[in-house]
Amino acid sequence: MSTMTDTNPTDVPQSILKSPKHWRNRIAGHHWRTGDEEFDAAKLGMWLFLTTEVLLFAGIFCGYAVFRMMYPEAWANGSHYLDWRFGAANTAVLLLSSWTAANAVRCAQLDKQFWLRVNIIITIVCAALFIFIKLKFEYMVKLGEGKAPGTFFSYPYAQDPHEPLWWSLYYIGTGIHAAHVIIGAALFGVVLYYAKRYQAYGPTQYTLVENAALYWHLVDLVWIFLFPLLYLIH
Amino acid sequence: MMMPTLATAQPGALEKLIFGPKLPASEPAAMADGLFMMITWFSVFFFVVLMGLMFYFMIKYRRREGVPTEPSPHHNTLLEIFWTVVPSSSLLVMFVLGFQGYTQQIVSPSDAMEVRIEGNKWNWIATYPNGANSPEFQPLSKRVVESADGMSSSTIKGRDYPIFYLPENTSVKFRMNSQDVIHSFWIPEFRVKRDVIPNRYTTYGIKTPRLTAADTYTHQDTGEEMLGRDMWVFCAEYCGDEHSRMAATLRIVPQDYFNQLMEDWGVTGLPWEEGEKIYKMMCASCHLIDGGKLVGPPWNESSDANGQYGWGYPASLASGGTVERDANYYRESILDPNAKIVKGYAPQMQSYQGQLDEDDINNIIAYIQTLSEVPPNPHLEGEGGESESEAGNQAEEAAGSES
Amino acid sequence: MSTLDAHAGHHEEGSYLSGPPGIMAKIWQWATTVDHKKIGVMYLFAVLFMFFVGGMAALLVRYELIDPMRDVMVQTVDANGDLVETTATQGENLKDLFQGLGMAGDLTGTQIYNRAFTLHGAVMVFMFIVPSIPASLGNFFLPVMLGAKDVAFPRLNLLSWYIYLFGSTFGILSILMGGVDTGWTFYTPYSTTTDADHWRVVLMVTAAFILGFSSILTGLNFVVTVHKLRAPGMGWFDMPLFIWAVYATSIIQVLATPVIGITLLLLIFERIMNIGIFDPAMGGDPVLYQHFFWFYSHPVVYVMILPAMGIISELLAVHARKHIFGYRAIAFSSLGIAGVSFLVWGHHIFTAMGELAAVLFSGLTFLVAIPTAIKVFNWIATLYKGSIVLNTPMCYGLMFLFTFSIGGLTGLPLATLATDLHLHDSYFVVAHFHYVMMGGTVIAFLGGIHHWWPKMFGKMYSEPGALIGMALVFIGFNVTFFTQFFLGTQGMPRRYANYVDEFQFLHQISTYGSWILGLGMFVHLAVFIHSLVAGEKAPANPWGGLTLEWECESPPIEHNFHHEPIVKHGPYDFETTVPPHWDPKDYPIHPDAGKATH
Ligand code: HEA
Ligand code: HEA
Ligand code: HEC
Ligand code: CUA
Ligand SMILES: [Cu+2]
Repeated sequence: MSTMTDTNPTDVPQSILKSPKHWRNRIAGHHWRTGDEEFDAAKLGMWLFLTTEVLLFAGIFCGYAVFRMMYPEAWANGSHYLDWRFGAANTAVLLLSSWTAANAVRCAQLDKQFWLRVNIIITIVCAALFIFIKLKFEYMVKLGEGKAPGTFFSYPYAQDPHEPLWWSLYYIGTGIHAAHVIIGAALFGVVLYYAKRYQAYGPTQYTLVENAALYWHLVDLVWIFLFPLLYLIH
Repeated sequence: MMMPTLATAQPGALEKLIFGPKLPASEPAAMADGLFMMITWFSVFFFVVLMGLMFYFMIKYRRREGVPTEPSPHHNTLLEIFWTVVPSSSLLVMFVLGFQGYTQQIVSPSDAMEVRIEGNKWNWIATYPNGANSPEFQPLSKRVVESADGMSSSTIKGRDYPIFYLPENTSVKFRMNSQDVIHSFWIPEFRVKRDVIPNRYTTYGIKTPRLTAADTYTHQDTGEEMLGRDMWVFCAEYCGDEHSRMAATLRIVPQDYFNQLMEDWGVTGLPWEEGEKIYKMMCASCHLIDGGKLVGPPWNESSDANGQYGWGYPASLASGGTVERDANYYRESILDPNAKIVKGYAPQMQSYQGQLDEDDINNIIAYIQTLSEVPPNPHLEGEGGESESEAGNQAEEAAGSES
Repeated sequence: MSTLDAHAGHHEEGSYLSGPPGIMAKIWQWATTVDHKKIGVMYLFAVLFMFFVGGMAALLVRYELIDPMRDVMVQTVDANGDLVETTATQGENLKDLFQGLGMAGDLTGTQIYNRAFTLHGAVMVFMFIVPSIPASLGNFFLPVMLGAKDVAFPRLNLLSWYIYLFGSTFGILSILMGGVDTGWTFYTPYSTTTDADHWRVVLMVTAAFILGFSSILTGLNFVVTVHKLRAPGMGWFDMPLFIWAVYATSIIQVLATPVIGITLLLLIFERIMNIGIFDPAMGGDPVLYQHFFWFYSHPVVYVMILPAMGIISELLAVHARKHIFGYRAIAFSSLGIAGVSFLVWGHHIFTAMGELAAVLFSGLTFLVAIPTAIKVFNWIATLYKGSIVLNTPMCYGLMFLFTFSIGGLTGLPLATLATDLHLHDSYFVVAHFHYVMMGGTVIAFLGGIHHWWPKMFGKMYSEPGALIGMALVFIGFNVTFFTQFFLGTQGMPRRYANYVDEFQFLHQISTYGSWILGLGMFVHLAVFIHSLVAGEKAPANPWGGLTLEWECESPPIEHNFHHEPIVKHGPYDFETTVPPHWDPKDYPIHPDAGKATH
């Protein structure tokens, strides 16, 4: 999947390795006929991987739907406990970051090295902001009130015996999503490193930027589903 | 394709081979067998045709050096359509018949007698409409084994399993739920099982067969030959250590005998007798009363490497130290078993809080007392409840106040 | 994008097996290799090892079942019937066995038994059969058969191998710590409440979770490889059927495995933190777990069988020197099976679900049988007018048709509602799935290993030895498992350490069968070891195959082909094409060849 790693440095003259615009000198893996094919393959691979991610979250959405049907009261109460404004803020943050992620790809294609880095940095900052809001204003506050999953639940004013279940699903759904946000940010961190150190990405070589952005869009998309399901629908 | 009739036919030799001695006990069960046989014949037909061709080709077209393969078609649309459509339509028949049989096996008429079935690790408990439970038990096997020296013989015997009675020719509906994990209530003769799930009721209905003169069983206590039919009840969903010993006997008896039993069972006995009933129904899967070790420690006065057991003897705990076995200890062991774990055992017992009421607990404790000689057991001499109760012995007081 | 010369730096190469001198250097080379062939071979030995572990557990299971031991106390009575002695039987066979070895600990016989069959099922499914064919033979031959130098993502391939090792380590760890007794299905609430195994259950479930990633990555890699790396001239319908099968398998792996991922993750959370999703005491739904579990685990049975079916297509065509009858029908039925397999999971829980759902799932299940039946018909038709040689791979191919048909056909009464209510969770199910998994997948796997052994290791195996092994496996297998159909219909539940006396006779026969079967397996093991140590050198194309792997040397060179192959004939044009490395004089072609209908 990663493009940098498929380069075989022993095949490349040292002088080229040292030249700044590394992306020009990209060499396809030995088993590929052309670099184009390799790029297509990497993208196809990424799409397949994203499918698996969708199916992973599908499990959680299924659980959500089943329990919503079984315990509509608890579910209605549950979403009342959530403050839609934090959810909306996070949605905005993620949408912005998705836009900058897309921009990053564009910049790589146009060989705008500086803006490539700027866009990636904004994306990463957004990811951090998202996690911050989630932790500071939502998880911490709620856990403090005893709105914890399963047997940890100790909120004294619960109105429905099945509210602990709602919190279980809430924490698992958003928790796994948050893990994805962190992984995505880390991936962009790697891209940033290569972009800065080697100028590794440019018009003919931006596989990793593209794949990181695809991944990021998925993370965004999952949130776009989680947000209304958890915060808005009563 | 020939369609065998699904009515209750006399089982043929093949059915006997397949289903063994377990003849179907009801109309839907017989239909299920018929359907099974139909599928079997269908399968045998295709299997024989295909394998026949295979072996024929294998011999006819074996390789002869220097002889080239003859040309042959790469495909044949007509043939391919044929062998897609024919099986598909017979599968459709199977599906529809299976669906019909299924509805008959699951539903029960509205006037059916409702028997509650409760599964817990690892007992089946049946409660009849009048609230009675069966007090009759028997071991799984009465096999006698000759020992090698030929002088003595040994009987394999052990834990007793409950016997559930049902009247003949009656519709019965089981309403089932579980106290802990998932079990599955299977009576092979009726060709049906259904999972028994915690926190939810599942049901199914059976129609018990009419008895014929050939249906007899030997009564477990009296040894008498009596009119009735015994069948096994198994637990078919894996539920832990003793899953394979979660069994019972279902006994179909004449209606008036059944009515008699219902009357007899309604009467409550002395505290320790009631306690013994509960023991056999709910505790015998883990606790023995003859010193043997199962999942839980034995209740009678006995000892092994891990220490002593039984009322009045100190219990060695897994956490170290010992504790006096008195009524309070027993009460706690039943309501909060994990508070004190007996040495050499795992915390496998669940709490019976909510399942056993005060009377039940007292009755059990009274029963446990009768299994031990220390301190001198009042019941064994007096044959009644009039003995002085010891200080702090709530079980005694409760027993006294009840009788 | 620029086109870069992929052939830069091409140099003369030896066999992929020849490495640097020095044992450490060799180990390092294998441990860091991105060569799909080396990875495939490592997988092959790993899965065979797991098969051995699972097989030994199976023999223990069968050993325990040789007698009923249904009760716990033996009362000895004298001639007058008076009680002489009461002893607790430590009776259960496994307990005796383990005590003899000084390792029974505090476990009772049933506890050991329950661990033994769980270990058997979990090892066989998660660590052996799912990776077996795709990851070993698939890894080795998929690129070669496509005419490629490697899979699309070689490093990812290495990664999935290490994930496999990592996951298996967790599993083994859990076993070494004392094992798990939940059954391979980990049904809740049992698996979340069984107290004795707190960490072991978590470890075992984590193992399955991690192994899932390995499976996903392998599948993803193969899908992309098939799409992007076919040799020039090879269209979709020029691909060998083994590739079609592995391709369909990979799609299932990619789509189904994430669901087991999230399921097992929830199970781990449930176990550690009591989140309650599957816990009825908190309003959770244990049957939901079963739905989740089977949504993966049903498709996964086709992950097991499809590659096996692919192997069968190769074996039958090559050793009967015949083009495949109905190539497209077989190719499309693989995809059909893959598609329908996602809709039938409910047939495992007929006894726990509502009526409507049960009817729906029953109907859909029958659909899956149709593409499978089509395949079987086509295979039989393939033998027609062939030139059949009964060597070990071919015998295994024919044996597959025999045993798999029995396994598949006995799936029909399980799919039928009225009969499944009786057969569910009985030995009938046990017999069914061993006939498809052991009699299907493992048999095809063994056939495939023999078929490709000369190619992989450059050595021939001893044909008489292998045929003896094959015969023992055939007899032993059928004796072991055919009896179990009768046990099931007569009412013997599965996962029983003890049983009532009436089942003893059949159980004993089954146990004796398992010994014959085990013997056969050891004969095979000996034949393979003998071949590695002292086998004759294998020719490049011992069977006269037409697919691209037979154009390589035996064993292939580092980059598989000296020149990129260009495909000019179909994989099964035996009637018109002389196979590579064969002298036309040795390979007669019928004068009418090519004129036959198309
Ligand atoms: C390799 C694995 C594999 C394969 C291929 C199959 C194939 C099939 N299985 Fe099986 N199955 C398992 C592995 C597999 N199974 C396992 C592991 C379990 C138990 C899991 C557990 O509980 O632990 C199980 C359990 C299982 C059940 C649940 C039983 C129960 O617990 O109550 C059912 C029910 O429908 C079922 C049905 C089928 C069907 C209809 C097919 C079909 O795909 C079969 C199609 C094949 C044929 C039909 C035969 C070949 C064709 C011919 C000879 C031509 C003639 C045929 C016709 C004209 C129809 N299987
Ligand atoms: C791939 C799947 C697979 C395979 C191959 C087998 C193979 C065997 N199985 Fe297994 N079995 C399962 C999957 C499998 N099983 C599953 C999933 C369950 C359900 C578990 C559960 O309920 O949770 C089960 C359950 C199960 C039971 C039921 C237990 C119960 O319900 O109480 C029994 C009982 O007889 C049994 C027996 C056997 C036997 C005798 C073999 C024999 O065929 C084994 C023969 C193999 C050997 C003896 C090993 C020899 C190997 C070598 C010598 C190594 C080298 C080899 C070569 C190089 C060729 N199995
Ligand atoms: C699932 C198996 C199981 C069942 C069913 C079970 N127990 Fe137990 N029991 C145990 C185990 C294991 C122990 C030992 C560990 C402990 O002390 O908790 C135990 C310990 C006890 C003890 C303490 C024994 C001693 O000698 O110190 C008592 C009393 C007891 N159980 C009562 C009961 C009663 C009453 C019932 C039925 C209503 C019952 N048990 C059913 C498993 C079980
Ligand atoms: Cu109860 Cu198995
Ligand atoms: Cu299935």
